[in-house]
Amino acid sequence: MKKTRKPQLAVIGAGPAGLGAALAASGAGLRDVMLIERDFELGGILPQCIHDGFGSIVFKEVMTGPEYAQRFVEEIRRTDVEIMLNTMVLDMGPDMRITAVNDREGIVEIEPESIVLAMGCRERTRHQVMLPGFRPAGVITAGAAQRDINIEGLMPGRKIVILGSGDIGLIMARRFTLEGARVEGVYELMDHPGGITRNVVQCLRDFEIPLHLSHTVSFIHGRKRVEAVTVAEVDADLKPRKETERFVPCDTLCLSVGLIPENELSKHAGIQLDPVTAGPFVDERMETTVDGIFACGNVVNVFDLVDYVTHSAQVAGRGAAEYVLQGRKRQSPVKVVAGRNVKYVVPQFVSDLNRDVDFYFRVEHPERAVTARILADGKPLAGKKHKMVRPPEMLKQTTEALDVSTGEKTRELTVEVIPGGE
Amino acid sequence: MTPAGLPESAQVVVIGAGVSGCSIARELTKYTPDIVIIDRESDVADATTKANNAEVHSGIGEKIGTLKAKLNVRGNALYDDFVSGLGVDFRRQGLLIVITPRTLPEEVAARMPRSVHDFVLKQVMPRLIMLNARRKGIPGLRMVSRAEVYRMEPHVTRSAVAGVFDPTYGMVAPYKLTIALAEHSVMNGARVFLNTEVSGVNVKDGRVLGVTTNRGDIRAPIVVNAAGVFADEVADMAGAGGFRIHPRKGASLLFDREETREYVHSSVSEFRVRGKTKAHSKGGGAMPTLEGNLQLGPTAIETDDKFDTSISAEEIQEIFDRFYYLLPDFPRSAMISAFSGIRAPTEEEDFIIGPSEAARGFVNVAGIQSPGLASAPAIVEMVMVFLHDLGVPRQPRSDFDPVRPAPPRFAELSNEERDRLIAGDPRYGHVICRCEQVTEAEVVNAAHGIIPATTMDGVKRRTRTGMGRCQGGFCGYRVAQILAREMGVPVTDMTKDGDGSWVFTTGKKTIAV
Ligand SMILES: Cc1cc2nc3c(=O)[nH]c(=O)nc-3n(C[C@H](O)[C@H](O)[C@H](O)COP(=O)(O)OP(=O)(O)OC[C@H]3O[C@@H](n4cnc5c(N)ncnc54)[C@H](O)[C@@H]3O)c2cc1C
Ligand SMILES: Cc1cc2nc3c(=O)[nH]c(=O)nc-3n(C[C@H](O)[C@H](O)[C@H](O)COP(=O)(O)OP(=O)(O)OC[C@H]3O[C@@H](n4cnc5c(N)ncnc54)[C@H](O)[C@@H]3O)c2cc1C
Repeated sequence: MKKTRKPQLAVIGAGPAGLGAALAASGAGLRDVMLIERDFELGGILPQCIHDGFGSIVFKEVMTGPEYAQRFVEEIRRTDVEIMLNTMVLDMGPDMRITAVNDREGIVEIEPESIVLAMGCRERTRHQVMLPGFRPAGVITAGAAQRDINIEGLMPGRKIVILGSGDIGLIMARRFTLEGARVEGVYELMDHPGGITRNVVQCLRDFEIPLHLSHTVSFIHGRKRVEAVTVAEVDADLKPRKETERFVPCDTLCLSVGLIPENELSKHAGIQLDPVTAGPFVDERMETTVDGIFACGNVVNVFDLVDYVTHSAQVAGRGAAEYVLQGRKRQSPVKVVAGRNVKYVVPQFVSDLNRDVDFYFRVEHPERAVTARILADGKPLAGKKHKMVRPPEMLKQTTEALDVSTGEKTRELTVEVIPGGE
Repeated sequence: MTPAGLPESAQVVVIGAGVSGCSIARELTKYTPDIVIIDRESDVADATTKANNAEVHSGIGEKIGTLKAKLNVRGNALYDDFVSGLGVDFRRQGLLIVITPRTLPEEVAARMPRSVHDFVLKQVMPRLIMLNARRKGIPGLRMVSRAEVYRMEPHVTRSAVAGVFDPTYGMVAPYKLTIALAEHSVMNGARVFLNTEVSGVNVKDGRVLGVTTNRGDIRAPIVVNAAGVFADEVADMAGAGGFRIHPRKGASLLFDREETREYVHSSVSEFRVRGKTKAHSKGGGAMPTLEGNLQLGPTAIETDDKFDTSISAEEIQEIFDRFYYLLPDFPRSAMISAFSGIRAPTEEEDFIIGPSEAARGFVNVAGIQSPGLASAPAIVEMVMVFLHDLGVPRQPRSDFDPVRPAPPRFAELSNEERDRLIAGDPRYGHVICRCEQVTEAEVVNAAHGIIPATTMDGVKRRTRTGMGRCQGGFCGYRVAQILAREMGVPVTDMTKDGDGSWVFTTGKKTIAV
């Protein structure tokens, strides 16, 4: 019989979220931290993000994904965190039992005192956005294409149509072009780009790649390999308009149609998920609905800035340490409501109002000259003016020790975006 | 293994490595090892057999008096024996036939007073189904009250009136079954030639002499035509045709197992009487696959292209609309895959099974549309009578090996069994497909199987890589690299499903087109 491992903390996933959480927990005094990663290296998705734009908040400098990851990798090597690579967590029960596997030890049973979930997200596929047509080779998600080109050194196609203008799609339009492929165009269902403006300029405009807004792919042609796609403008219900259909020859359809937090393990552990974010409900310490299980990074909601991922990870790591070392009990939580022009807010609950809390939220639609603010039972606590807010750009607002500043028991918090700003 | 060159001769050539061809070949090897199976695709089960609903119907949906009905009922009864020793799963999960206010066509219902309509739905329809089953010799059906319908399947529409449970109905993975049948045949002496297309059947003086393929000729006194949607064209090559197959496409949807496991427990189908003919329209159903995914479908659309496995937006919508009524809360957003296959109906809408008068030694197994999978064991039984008459020995071989060992499936094992495997081969500890938890060792096994996987889809059908919610986004390049390594070829040679379906361009830098 193998011995069950009983660390103080098990972190699942070693992307920036897992790395950040393990480091913070170790820094807060946990001596027995285990970091479990299924890939052969640390860093999560970052090693394949060889473009720049990472770290402007955390390190106040602009770096590539691998550079950003490397800072944490070097730091974690200086701690006593136990790193288990090539180890996949297969299951996690409600009793915090983790079953993992690797090729050296076989099945590894772990019963930690606390857990941080940092499994990241996965990409949405063609069938999840219901793209009709044949099922040939050559339909690939943008992240998979990025991996093929940047890590494996393999080119997944030559003549590319990209569907979806999220940041990964935009980055890949440039990447394909730099590698000698031809990008026929980027097609976006909505009437505004899904990615940030900087990427639209630097990845498309600078390379004269056309961006077709309010368009979709309405059919995939080719029995063996993609031969073409039919594209069409969409109507107000986002359905393709037949009379606008065009036939675009290509050999690859690259999809950048959204990310979904990877929460199969969370579900098995009985953690409740927010239907809007598709990630666990968390409180201000990133603790999920199961005591002792924390979550951070893209498994909670799709942060677009890695810096926010790191921030959420530090909160989760410290929260886990506090849980283990001080046996902290949760107070009755206060609900955080998404108010005017706010799609969702993380955290969804606040249990301890006597501390600073970071709120992350997204607007529902673009709006100019607004104030984003946080209310406690209708009373404004903190706010910030913005020239322009757009759904792809996540907003962050910090409040300070709420109950102290309001001096009374709060029943409900609201985050809203209202007209009137700069 | 697929031998390099075609043999000069064989006692029997089977054209088509679908479930029909492979089950006939396997049965033949019980009597003679000298069997050759030919298919033009890059894998066995690579046509209609890979894209159907996996149902082993009881026969309840088939019209009395047809060959389909007879072979379906018989086939179902034989299924446990048929799959024994093959190492494939077969589960009799039963079918719940639900009677709803839509069961009778509107024009019929409109002519009845409400109380009569209620009576007909509640009392008459279930008994009609029971009677129908009794006349066809289908055992075990029982009537189910409205309350029991909900107890059995809580997600069924609140408008349900009554139901009938059909317990012998089951499910089997059709491509796994067919791969197992082909491998079992090879273990017992048969040879399988893939990427090999039959272009002619050689007949002289009313006797079959063999076949002509793109890779040469094979002499054979007996040729079995199990060419699926192309069986009419192959029959014409022998002058043994005279029937036409009109392809009919069917699409189905698959949902994420994590979200739909136990959504339904048995298969569930709404009973609807068709307007004019009053025949039971099968109309498909909601089925839990053996792996636990919810499957909805299929549609039925006439097409003039025997390769048209596309799915239109309208078809997806049609399935959604149909099942919103029966299962109002099915998790639409959990859809992970859609696929379609081509049925092979003849004008008469029945199987055509039998020896040709024009070319002695040529046997048609044609028009094998649904329920071809369910009927397979009975089709075999029927065909063997003709094949023995044509000269296949009647004496069973004493050296027939009845067991085809199935490679281990990591995801289905206990932790103790997994540990044992990993101790012997560490590649069982390397999970490469995260959604379906497939290990490197399983891909290696697939690459070196009796019928080796040579394509990404071949690996997928054998191991389930890429069949989960991420649809291969995570494991695609890993599978390609492992398969290429095991085949000893560059990874840029990998295809999804045979010639033309390349996965990577050769060389990283390419020239702008
Ligand atoms: C394809 C893609 C491209 C992106 N490109 C950019 C970009 O260009 N710029 C940007 O700012 N952001 C980008 N992002 C967002 C980026 O994911 C985040 O900035 C950040 O990497 C998220 O960190 P994370 O640690 O939460 O997740 P990840 O970096 O995804 O790390 C999750 C880790 O968990 C591991 N894991 C998951 N499940 C298990 C398990 N069961 N057992 C063991 N290990 C497991 C995974 O292997 C992975 O290493 C991209 C995201 C994706 C998916
Ligand atoms: C949508 C759909 C759902 C269905 N659901 C069910 C179900 O739930 N239950 C059920 O019982 N049945 C079902 N069926 C029917 C079932 O799939 C078929 O009856 C069965 O797969 C037919 O198998 P086959 O071997 O006869 O044909 P196929 O699987 O089509 O095999 C024929 C083979 O012949 C090969 N071939 C053709 N011409 C040549 C040539 N010239 N040279 C070499 N090779 C050639 C082809 O490549 C092919 O591999 C369904 C069918 C469809 C389309």
